[in-house]
Amino acid sequence: MARSLWTGSLSFGLVTVPVGLYSAVRDRDIHFNLLHGPDSSPIETRRVCAHEQTEVPWGEIVKGYELQDGRWVLLSDADLEAAAPRKSHTIDIEAFVEEREIDPLYLDRPYLLVPENEVAARAYALLSEAMASSGKVALGRFVMRAKENLVSIRPRGGLLALTTMRFHDEVRPSTEIVKDLEEAPAPSEEEIENAIAIIAELEVPFEPDGYRDEHRAHLEAIIKRKRKGQKIAVPKQEPTKPAEPAPVAPDLMGALEESLARIRGQAPDKHGTSGTAKAASKAGTSGTAKAAGKAGTAGKTKTAAKPKRKAPAAKKAPAKRTGGAKRA
Amino acid sequence: MPRSIWNGTVAFGLVRVPVKLYSATESKRIPLRERHGQDGAAIEHRRVCVKEGKEVPYSEVVKGYEVSEGSYVVLTKEEVASAEGPEAHVVEIEHFVDREQIDPAYYERSYYLGPGKLGEEAYVLLRAALERSGRAGIGRFVFHNKAHLVAIRTVGEAIVLHTMRFADELSWGEELERPQPEKQPSKLELDTAQLLLAQLDAEFEPESYANTYRDAVMAMIEKKAKGEAIEAPESARIAPEGDLLGALEASLAKTGGAKKPKRRSAAAGRGSKTPGGDNGPKAPAGGKTPKTAAGGKGGKVPQKGDTRTRGGS
Repeated sequence: MARSLWTGSLSFGLVTVPVGLYSAVRDRDIHFNLLHGPDSSPIETRRVCAHEQTEVPWGEIVKGYELQDGRWVLLSDADLEAAAPRKSHTIDIEAFVEEREIDPLYLDRPYLLVPENEVAARAYALLSEAMASSGKVALGRFVMRAKENLVSIRPRGGLLALTTMRFHDEVRPSTEIVKDLEEAPAPSEEEIENAIAIIAELEVPFEPDGYRDEHRAHLEAIIKRKRKGQKIAVPKQEPTKPAEPAPVAPDLMGALEESLARIRGQAPDKHGTSGTAKAASKAGTSGTAKAAGKAGTAGKTKTAAKPKRKAPAAKKAPAKRTGGAKRA
Repeated sequence: MPRSIWNGTVAFGLVRVPVKLYSATESKRIPLRERHGQDGAAIEHRRVCVKEGKEVPYSEVVKGYEVSEGSYVVLTKEEVASAEGPEAHVVEIEHFVDREQIDPAYYERSYYLGPGKLGEEAYVLLRAALERSGRAGIGRFVFHNKAHLVAIRTVGEAIVLHTMRFADELSWGEELERPQPEKQPSKLELDTAQLLLAQLDAEFEPESYANTYRDAVMAMIEKKAKGEAIEAPESARIAPEGDLLGALEASLAKTGGAKKPKRRSAAAGRGSKTPGGDNGPKAPAGGKTPKTAAGGKGGKVPQKGDTRTRGGS
C-alpha cells in the first residue's frame, strides 16, 4: 500500500472531508546508484556544515532565505506552516469550472485523493457524485512542502483525481515568441487543406497504451549487454556542431503533396474512404493525383511537383532532403 | 526575447517545420536553501566513497545499476547518454489525435515552439492545420539524451509542445485501499450538493488565483529579518463533519448570501484564459460557451431547472 504524501481535509462550503493524497505517477525510471569508479563501491551523499566541516544530522537542517545584504533568515518547518496554517491542512474548494477551460499549460502533477475513513467516505462520495453529474471540476488551493498549489479536482475511476497547477504568473506569455509571424507569408488555402488532409490520414484514437517508453527500453538493453560483458559503442558526440546546411525555406507544397501521396500509397484502405476521397478530390486538380500514381515508387520520384511559387533559393534543395527522413 | 533551449524541426509526413523550443513555464517558488540550524552556515553535499570514507571527485563517479543486492552493472556517463544515439533534432509526428481524448494526467512539461530560421511560413501552416482540425500531433523527440513522447497543439498564436507521461507511469488508484461509506448519500443530500456546486460555478480565470502563500512567507521573512520571532499557532486541523446535510445547507446559506463576490461578475471580464495574454485567446476547441446565469445570485430555492442541468443523467 502506497503511503500518502499529505493528509488533510478537502473542504467545500462547510463540508470537510478528511483525505489522504497519493501520487498518480508511478516511478518507472531506471535508477542508477552513484558508484566510485576505481573501487565500484557505493557513494553516499553527506551533508556537511560549511562552517564546522562536520556532518549535520537531518534534524538540524533548516531552510534559509538569503537577504539582499547577504544575511540569512532561517525558517523552520513550523515557521513555514505558520505562514498559512489553514492551507497547510485544508484544500479549500473555491469554484467549479468546465474542465476544458483549463488549458493543459497550467497542469503540473497528477495525484489521487482517498477518503481517510468510512465517515469521510460518505461526504467524499457525495462530492464525487455531484461533480460527476454536473460535469464540472473543482478548483482549490492548498500548501504542501512549503509550496502553495492551485489544484483542480475531478472524478476519475471512482476516485477524485487532483492535479496541481501552475499559477498564472508561472506560465510565460508566448507573445515574444510568435511576434514575428505576423509578417510571415500566409500559406495558401490549398496548402492548409493539404496539411489538414495529412492530419486526417494520420489520425488515430488516442491510445496511450500504444506508446512504449523507448528510452527506458534502450537503457535496459544497454544494461543487459553490459552485464553480459559486451562493449557498448559510444557514438562520438561531436564536440562542435556539424556545419549546418545553409537554411532554405522549405518547399511546402511539394512536401505536402508528396506526403499525401506516400501515406495514401502505403495505407490505401486503413482509414475508411471518406476523409481520403474527399481530400483527394479536392486536391485532384493540383499535383496530388499525379503524385499518387507514383506513390508506389515513392522514394525515387521526388522532384517537386510544382516549381514553387516563391522564387528565392527554393530551387529543389529542400525536397531532396526529405529522402531518407521518413522510414519507408 | 526569451532564449531558445533547443533547435530542430517538426516533421509530419514529408513536411519539415524548422522550430525553436522555449520553456513555457517558470517556477516562482521562493528560493530557499538548506542551512545548518545551529549556526546558519551553508550545507555542502559531499559525495563520499563508502569503502574509503573519502570524498570522491566528480570525474570518478560512475553510474551503477543494481542487478542484485550489492552487485552493480557499471555504466559510464557517456554510455548512459548513448542510449538514444546521436540527437537527430527532429520532432517526428507519428499520429494525430483528437485533443479532447487526452486525459490531463498525461501532460508532463510544457514548452512553446517558435518558428526556426526561415521556418515562418511552414510554422504558420502547421499552426493553421492544427488549429482548424482541432487535433494534436503525437510524436517523439530526443531532448537531453532522453527520448520523450510529446504532443503538439495550438494555444492562441503559438504551438505548444508537451512532454507526455507513458500509460504505465500513471496509476488510477486500483491498488489503493478505499474506505466505503456505510450508507450512500441521499437524494436530498445530492440535490443540495448540486445547488452548492451551482453557486460556486465560475469560469476559469487563472489571473484571479494569486499565490498568497508566497506573499505570506515573504512577509514572514521580512518580519524575521527585523529580529522578530515567529509564533506558531496551534494545530489547524479541522474535525471531520458528522452532519452532512446540515453542513451542506449551512454552506448554501453562507455562499448564497452576501459572500458571493466576484465570481460571475468578475468573470464577465472574460479575458483570455490562455496565457500569452494579448495574443488572441483561442480557447481550446469549444471552450467557453457563454453561460446562463444559473446559480448566480443568492437565495435560490432548490429547483430542478436551477441545478445545472448540463450533465443530465
